[in-house]
Amino acid sequence: MIARAPSRSLPTLAAPWASTAARWVLAAVFLTAGGLKVVDPSSSVAAVRAYQLLPAGLERPVGWGLPFVEIVLGLLLVVGAFTRVLAVVAAVLLAAFVVGVVSAAARGLTIDCGCFGSGGTVAAGQTRYTGEVLRDVGLLLLAGWLVWQPRSRLALEPLAPERADILRSEPALPPRSPRRPRLEDAR
Amino acid sequence: MSTGGPVRAVRRGPEAARVAAEQAARRRREQKILLAAVVALVVLVVGGGMGLQAWRSGRAPSTGPVPAVADVPQTVADGQPLRFGPAAAPATVTLYEDYHCPHCADFEEEFGDVLSGAQTTGQARVDLYPMSFIDAGSAAAANAAACAAEAGFGQAYHLGLFANPTLEWSDRQLVDLAGEVGGQPGGAFSTCVTTRAKSSWVTSVNTAADANGVEGTPTLFLDGAPVPVEGLTPEKLQTMIETATPGNG
Repeated sequence: MIARAPSRSLPTLAAPWASTAARWVLAAVFLTAGGLKVVDPSSSVAAVRAYQLLPAGLERPVGWGLPFVEIVLGLLLVVGAFTRVLAVVAAVLLAAFVVGVVSAAARGLTIDCGCFGSGGTVAAGQTRYTGEVLRDVGLLLLAGWLVWQPRSRLALEPLAPERADILRSEPALPPRSPRRPRLEDAR
Repeated sequence: MSTGGPVRAVRRGPEAARVAAEQAARRRREQKILLAAVVALVVLVVGGGMGLQAWRSGRAPSTGPVPAVADVPQTVADGQPLRFGPAAAPATVTLYEDYHCPHCADFEEEFGDVLSGAQTTGQARVDLYPMSFIDAGSAAAANAAACAAEAGFGQAYHLGLFANPTLEWSDRQLVDLAGEVGGQPGGAFSTCVTTRAKSSWVTSVNTAADANGVEGTPTLFLDGAPVPVEGLTPEKLQTMIETATPGNG
C-alpha cells in the first residue's frame, strides 16, 4: 500500500461504483437463472442433456447442481464478498455457457440455451443463438471488469484489509510531515 | 477492523512494526478460516441442493386428484387423443400437454377443477394429446398414460402424472404411480410401460400435433377453436365451456 496523490480523479472515484453496478447486474442474472431452474430439476437436467456435450453420468449432477451454484454465486455477489474470486468463477461459467451455445449452433442442434429454465429442443426456426451468445459475452465483459477492478462500494469484502483505506475519501496514509500528527489521527 | 494499524507502524519505531506484523498475521489467519468456512458452506449448499433435487426427481410418486367421471377402458388409436369424460358431452376441450412441461403442470393445477367440473355436469369431455418433446421422461410418461387408458384408469393416471411434475419418470415410478392412483400396476400394465408398447402411438401424437399446428404446450382448443392460455382464468374458461355451441367442432 502506497500513499497516492491526495487528489482523486473522477475515474478513480467512479470505478468502485462501476464495479458495484457490475456486481449487482451479474448477481441479478445469476439469481434469476438459478431461481428459475431450481424449481424444476427434471427440466434443468433435460436442458443440460439437450447440449449433448457431457457424458451421461454427469448430466444429472450438473442439471441438479448448477442452479445452486448460480444462486450461491449471486448471493455472494450481492453482498460483495470475495469479489475477485467470484468474478473469476462467473467468467469461467459464462465462458463455458458461450462454448456450449456456440458448439450447439455449430453442430446444427436446435435447442434453447436453457439459461433461465425450460430449455431443451425447440423448432428449427426458434433458436436464438446470436442473442444468447451476445448476452453471455456482455456478462463476461462485466465479470472481466470485476476481475480487474474488484474493489467496489457497498461491499462486505471480508478478505480485503485495505478496504477501509480504499473506501475512505482521504488518501490512505497522511502525508509524512516533520511535526507530530495530532487530532485527525485520533479518529 | 484495521483502523490505525499501518498508520501507527509508520509513526512509531520497531516496536509498533512488530505489533502491526502480529496484527497482519492474525488477520491472515482469520481470512483463511473465513475462506475455508465459506468454501465449506458453498460445498454444503450445492451438495445438499443436488441431494434435494435427486430426491425430488427420484422419489416415489404420490396420488393425484380423483377423476370426476369414472374411467373406462378405451382403445388407443394412432394419431387419436386419449378421451376423458362423457362421450356424449356437447362441448369438447382439446388439450396438448407434455408431462414434463412445467407450464402444463401449472395449467392442470389452475384449470383442473373446471375441466373436472365440466365432465361431472356432462357439459364437456376432454381430448388429450400427450406430446413428448421435452425429454425421455415425457415420452415414457405419454406411453404409460396410453397403457393406463387401455387398462381403464387413464384419467386418474393422467392427473397423477401432473400431480408429480418434478419426477423424472423412470419405469419404476411410472409403474408405482398406477398403484397410487388406484389402477392395476401389475402384469400387463407393467409390461406395457417397460417395453414402451405404445411408442408408435406416442410418435403419432407428436405428428398429429404438428399437423394441427400446435407449437407449444399447453395448447387448448374448445370445439376446435383455439383458446389462448395467456390471460385465461378458470372463470373465463368455465363461461366459455357453458356457452359453447355444440357441433362447431
